[in-house]
This record gives sequence, C-alpha cells and structure tokens, in this order.
Amino acid sequence: MIGETLTLKVAAASAISPSLRHLRLVAADGGKLPPAAAGAHLQLVLKGATRTHRNAYSLISRPGARDAYEIIVRRVPSSRGGSAFIHEQIKVGDVLEAGWPGNLFAPVRTARRHLMIAGGIGITPFLSYLADFAFGGADYALHLCCREDEQHVFDPWLAGKSGVSVHWDADGRRLDIPALLAAQPVGTHLYVCGPAAMNDEVLELAAAAGWPASHVHCEHFGSALSGGEAFRAFLAKSGVEVSVGEDESLLEAIERIGVKAPCLCRGGACGVCVTPLLDGEADHRDHYLSAAERETGRLILPCVSRARSGRLVLDL
Amino acid sequence: MSIAFKPEETFRGDYSYRNSDAAVLRFPFPFPEDRYMYSVNIEPHVRSGPSDVFLRPFDVDEHYIAECRDKAITLERDPGRCQVLPHMMMAQWDTLELLMENLSADYPEQFSLIKEGDDFGSRWTWINRPLGIEQSFIFGNAETLPCEPFEYITRQAQGDFAICDQRDDNLFMDAGMVTSQADWSLEFDVGMSFMEWHGPVPLAHQTGVFERALKYLLMLRLGQPVRRLNWTMSINPRLDTSPESYPEWGPDRASVTPENAGQKVHLRVELQTLWRLPRSNAILFPIRCYLASLEDLARVPKWGARLHRVLSSLPPQLVEYKGLTRYLPAALEWLAQHDDGRELPVGTEAGVSTLAPR
Amino acid sequence: MLHSDIKSRPTYTQLEPDLSGSQHLLIVEGDTVLPGRLDSLAGTFAPVEENLHTWLVGTQAGGLGLGKVWRLPEVADVVDAFACATRGYGIGDRLYVQGTEPFLWSVAKAAAIIGFSAEQIHLHHAGSLRRRVWCTHCHTVTENVTTSIASCAGCHRHLLVRDHFSRRLGAFMGVMVDAEAPGEVPAVEESFA
Ligand code: HEM
Ligand code: FES
Repeated sequence: MIGETLTLKVAAASAISPSLRHLRLVAADGGKLPPAAAGAHLQLVLKGATRTHRNAYSLISRPGARDAYEIIVRRVPSSRGGSAFIHEQIKVGDVLEAGWPGNLFAPVRTARRHLMIAGGIGITPFLSYLADFAFGGADYALHLCCREDEQHVFDPWLAGKSGVSVHWDADGRRLDIPALLAAQPVGTHLYVCGPAAMNDEVLELAAAAGWPASHVHCEHFGSALSGGEAFRAFLAKSGVEVSVGEDESLLEAIERIGVKAPCLCRGGACGVCVTPLLDGEADHRDHYLSAAERETGRLILPCVSRARSGRLVLDL
Repeated sequence: MSIAFKPEETFRGDYSYRNSDAAVLRFPFPFPEDRYMYSVNIEPHVRSGPSDVFLRPFDVDEHYIAECRDKAITLERDPGRCQVLPHMMMAQWDTLELLMENLSADYPEQFSLIKEGDDFGSRWTWINRPLGIEQSFIFGNAETLPCEPFEYITRQAQGDFAICDQRDDNLFMDAGMVTSQADWSLEFDVGMSFMEWHGPVPLAHQTGVFERALKYLLMLRLGQPVRRLNWTMSINPRLDTSPESYPEWGPDRASVTPENAGQKVHLRVELQTLWRLPRSNAILFPIRCYLASLEDLARVPKWGARLHRVLSSLPPQLVEYKGLTRYLPAALEWLAQHDDGRELPVGTEAGVSTLAPR
Repeated sequence: MLHSDIKSRPTYTQLEPDLSGSQHLLIVEGDTVLPGRLDSLAGTFAPVEENLHTWLVGTQAGGLGLGKVWRLPEVADVVDAFACATRGYGIGDRLYVQGTEPFLWSVAKAAAIIGFSAEQIHLHHAGSLRRRVWCTHCHTVTENVTTSIASCAGCHRHLLVRDHFSRRLGAFMGVMVDAEAPGEVPAVEESFA
C-alpha cells in the first residue's frame, strides 16, 4: 500500500439536487483503491481549459471501501473553479487524476460521545463517520442544518441511522445551539462542518460554554496541500532559471530541470534541503527554521517553501 | 524467493543465533559518516536503498522462524508485552490488513491471503507456511481469531510494533507488541504522548529534533511511509533486552573483555518505519531489529573502521543513555585493530560483495 | 526536584478558577492543608463560589466559602465517587486538585476514565515529595518512597528511582540499580522528603 497518485474513472454521476452532483469513482485500471478513513478527503486534479484546479472533497463512501470512492460536489454559484468544472464538464467514463486520500478531520477515538453539527453540504464528512461509529458502537448525535427544501437530499445515506435530526429556518425546526452545547456530558467531542459563518458561530458558542479546545473540531481543507501560486526561481550556481508550477514544490521544479539538490524527508522537517536564499522573499512552510532564521530571510527549505512574491534567487 | 530459515537458532541461553554471510552483507549499517549525533533522519520508505533490507516494506529474513519463537517465549513469560487500549480496535484491523497484504504480495512462497471481499464482514484465509498456520476468519470480527487482531498478526512478524493514535496535534502510544526492545517498557509507556515517551532521551529535545519529527509525523500521508534507523549495542544476540528482564541480561555487560568483545558485543540496528493507517488514521510504527557481532561487521573493512570512529567520538550523554559505559573501552580496544586511519567514503554501503573469512 | 530534564515529568500550577468553566469541583487532600490554606483557597475561588463543590479528603478542617462542601475519608472514596458518578459531569466542568503526587494522579486518572480531558483538570502539588514507584521488573507499586534508591515492596530489589513518570500509573519508574554488578549499591540519599 504505497503510492501517491491515483487514476480514477467516473463510473456514475447524478444530480441529487439542483446544486449537488454525486460522483462515483473507480480505479481506471479496474483494480482496487486504497482504503480510507472516516473524515478523509480526496484531492482531484481538474484540468480545465485555462488552468488546473486541485480541489479536495470529503469521501462519503463507507470507510475502508476499496471498490469505489463517492463524493458530493456543490456548485458554488459565483465560481468558475473546480465545482463548476465538475458540474458542467465531467461525464461518465472520464478519467481523473487524484492524490491518495488524506485526512485532516478524523473522529477522535477516545471520545465518550460524538456530537456533529453540519450545515448543508457540510454533512459530507459525517456520512463516513456514521458508518465508522456503527462499527465501533459509539455514542453519537448528528444535527443537520439545511434549507427546508434540502431536508431529504441526504436521505439515501441517512436511511436507517438513529441519532440524526434535521433542522431548518422555521419555528420549531431551528437548532438551539447554545442549549445543545450546554447539555453535553464530559468526554463529548464536537465536530462542525458548514459555511464559515456557521462554523465560527458554533466555535464561539462552544468556547463560551466552557468546552475544552481539544474537544472542538472544525473541518478546514488546505493546510496539508502543497502547491500555491506559480513563481520563478533563479539557481545562481547552476545559472538557470526555473518556473515553479502551482502544483509542484520548488524542490520538484529544481529536480525536473536536472539540478541535484539534497533532500531527505521532503516535508520540511529534517533540514537536509536547507539552501541559502540570495534574493527574494520566502513563504516559509517548514518546521525546521527557527523564528530568528526566518527573520533574517536568508535560508529556505525548497521541499515545502515557496515565494511570497516575485522571484527567488537560490545558491544552488 | 526462497529463504533458508534457521529454525533452531536461539536468542537466549546458548545464544546460537548467527548471521550467514549474505545476512552480514545486507546488514543495515547505520553510519554514513565517522561521527554520530541525533537528527531527524527520516526519509521516504521506498523499495530501494543502500541495503537489501529496504527492498520490501516489511523485510523477512533467515531469522524469521526463530524470532517468532523467541517472541512467543517472551509473551508466555510476560503477557504485558502486548498492550492495546480499548479505542484502538480499528487500528488493530488496519495493522492486520497492512501486514497480511504486504507479506503475501512480497513473499508469495511463504504467505498467502485469500479474500472473499475487502470490507469488514468478509471471510479471509491467511496461510503462513514457515510457521505452519492456516486461519480462516471474518475481517472485522475479533472473535473469529484466536486472539485480538493486532496480537495475532504481530506474533507472526519479526520486530516490535507500536500504534500511535493521533489526536490533539499529538501522537499517543496506545498499543504495542514489544518483545525485542532496547531497554524501554511498553507497560510503563502505554498511553503516553510523543514527548512523554521520548522523555528520557538526552540532547535531542534541546536541539528540537523531537519537535520537528512530531510535526512531520502529524502530516504523514497514507501510501507514503517513511523510515529511519536507530541503533544501540547489546551483549550477546539477545532480542529481549527489556527493562523487565534487565536483571537477567544486565550482568552480561560486565563480562566483556578486549579478547571476547568481537564475539560478545553486537551492534543492534532498528529499521523503524512509520505508516499512516487507512481506517483509524493512526500511525503504525514497526521496529525491525537487526543484530550483528563486531566480528562479523569488521569483515566489511569499511564498517569495522567506521564503527571504531563513531564509537570513539560518541557524545558522553549518548554513551550513558545507550548503556555502553561499562564495556565501551573493551569494544573500542577490539575495534582499533580494524581501523588503519584511512579516509572512508561517505555512505553506509558495504562496498564489498564478499566477506573476509571469519 | 520538582523540575527535571525528563520531559515526561509533569509540571504543576497554582490553583485558580478557570472562569470559562460552568461547574467547578475542588478536591483537596487533607494532609496537605497548611493553616490558612483553605481560607486562601476560598478567596481565590470566590468568583465561582456559586458553582463550586469542594471535596475535603481525610480532614475535619473547615471549608467556609468553598461552595458546597463534602467530606470523604480517603482517596479511594474519591475514585469510587467518580467511578459511580450518579450526577453526570458536563463538558464545561472544571476539576482542581491539591495534594501529593500520588493523590493528584489517582484523582486525575479516575476523572480521565469518565471523560475529563487534561485541559479540564488543574493540578497543584502540595505536601510531601514522596513518590509512588513502579518496579519495571515485577510491576509492583511501592508507595511513599522518599529515597533515591528504594527497596521494591514486591521483589525486594534495590530500585533506582528515575524521573521518568507515567500518568497512567501515577508513578515513577524504578530500575534495579545493581543489575550489572550485583551488590554494588550506591549510597542512598533522602531525595523526596
Ligand atoms: C512515532 C513513533 C515512535 C515511537 C513509538 C518511538 C518510541 C521510542 C521509545 C519508546 C524510545 C525509548 C525511550 C526511552 O528511553 O524510554 C525512543 C527513543 C528514541 N527515539 Fe523514538 N519513537 C518514535 C518515533 C521517533 C522519530 C520519528 C524519531 C526521529 C527523530 C525518534 C527518535 C528517537 C531517538 C533519537 C531515540 C533515542 C534512541 C537511542 O539513542 O537509542 N523517534 N523512541
Ligand atoms: S527535505 Fe527534509 S526539510 Fe526539506
């Protein structure tokens, strides 16, 4: 079970509501997919006409499934990005590149009880939680807050599951979040996933109700993803200039043009790749440099760090 | 690939453990340079490297059968060497799946796994020919195995295993099968966090080694295992150098002389790998132990000389922590005859394809 | 010796009410109460007195101003009280414990079992420095150890008391001091009085 990228084929695609599209993805070669955990996400490489998007979507398939991955994608009205691409371009039979599943939102195994609050499409990570909790016999409650006309959209995944309640904006149907948070027993973990405003509200209310920070979890994509804006780097010793793409690291770009650079962990921890920075401003993403070293701005770890602006000049 | 197992050799009593020449040549010698200090020496666990032990993610060698037997003896005497906290059941199945899939794929002559499905609830049949085991069970149902899944599979694997649960931006050692450790106690450490269980290690906290390593591990990805080598020394080829049994093996440290050091003193190298587990999101930490006597190592000229240099320049805190104090002078005296002072190339490769005669 | 290089060694704090908490439970080991200490605790906890319960363990000392006060004979009763908690504890509750190290960790462990997280538990070390020592060889726990080398209550080996600490066991590690050279036992020092 070693690998980095997957080639997937769209086996089924369907609209489950006007703004939600469900995709079922299988291994393009007909083989087995790596199993994934509750809360895991899949990063899809979506090659649009003008640029490539790398979007992460929660897997809603049962944890451990190896025959297919399932995701639900909401169409973001104003966006020309990945979600529009999935809604407008993708059809059954298409082949997509993806990274192996990652997980920044796994349930806490020591929890005595799991309390989940979802806003609309934010329910997706919790669909895999439910299957996991069924296996372990965990105590849980899931509260879905959505528009009234969306209340049955997720029924296919919620059918037969106890502990699920649905709320919308009408008298008698609203979720009283402060009361819910105040009534939870010691050992409960809270997970929230929804629109940013809702996440912030729940986090604030939890803090006010005395929830320990380690028991409050909010899904946020992005922090584990490499890449960023494209930039250029000049390698002074080798006398070559390299352009670093959105999806590759500085180190990968250097290696791509055949310049040898030392490295070990490729994750910003070991310090083996540390390189003098002769000019330019670095966006430091490593765990290695001290605050003081960052301050001087004269060192960079190309395996993870990038340019904050413009062009970097490296002593390589 | 057939493996010439040595089922009769022992790691206690008469210590009949020996390495074949091939085993010496593939020894994962840990010193690329003449000096050693702790660092975040983590790299991707790819199927290649300076020693053949890196060719497969879980290395099985000629000592497999004997090591599994020694593990069973240790567990019989002290069942506390296997500890699993209750919230680790998902990680137990992850470990069983990872090991069965890798062993059966890489060593088809020795191991087979027949699955009727991949999901929990499917019937699986596991065949382990070297140990003469055939077991049918339901994946996900612990009652269909003779013991819990983690103990079941790690009894059939060389080396120790810890499973770390990830929560609160930290790792917790919440399960382990530890019968061949370099003097630390699982029963004492189980449930500790990364910094707590590394508490006794000198110097590395101060230089930020553990802080960086932890941050890196928290981001460890499924499908991209990493590895590092750690090392210490043991007197006699003994796997069970636990604190539990220290009263048994401690006196051996006083038995080393410059004359017998070549045979008695062993370099003990741990190939440690780190795996993100798919269902539990925990991290599996297999610790595969390799033992070789100074005499065998010195049959590779580069290794004998390098070991002499590393050991003579080792920081005193490391000498003390690794428990070498009492016999290091004797070991150095023995090694000195193999170090002519010439410059040695950087790297751990043996640099020879046959060994000097014993 | 309250601080050492070994990172597993816990550090302790002064007790102060965590104002973000909803209910507050203060547990005090009676032996460690110096004259005037309860009054000063009452002063410190005055802002949360309405939501404060105090358990005084093994003492008849007063408890004025410490909210609702209960008296328990010994630490085992505290552990029992948590184990069969009839009143459920809430996620916003806070626990404050004052006592010797074995007392602190007996209480903290019992609370952790029913779900209290480390952030909800505040520990203040008071009274003697005596240690609970876990023998790595026979796994017996020896209580009230005050010396750098102690005889194991189980196997009678001479144990060097290390600073390595297990929260789960609430104990320090003890390792045979003369395993390599039987009989060579260094001088014993009174270290944790
Ligand atoms: C996450 C899985 C890991 C586990 C379960 C683990 C466990 C341990 C344990 C139990 C010890 C012995 C401590 C004692 O004396 O009681 C130890 C030592 C040590 N560990 Fe780890 N460790 C892990 C990962 C790492 C990593 C990633 C590093 C990278 C720097 C590391 C570096 C060390 C070092 C330098 C020592 C001292 C070893 C010696 O000198 O013999 N460990 N580890
Ligand atoms: S390769 Fe390890 S920090 Fe860059």
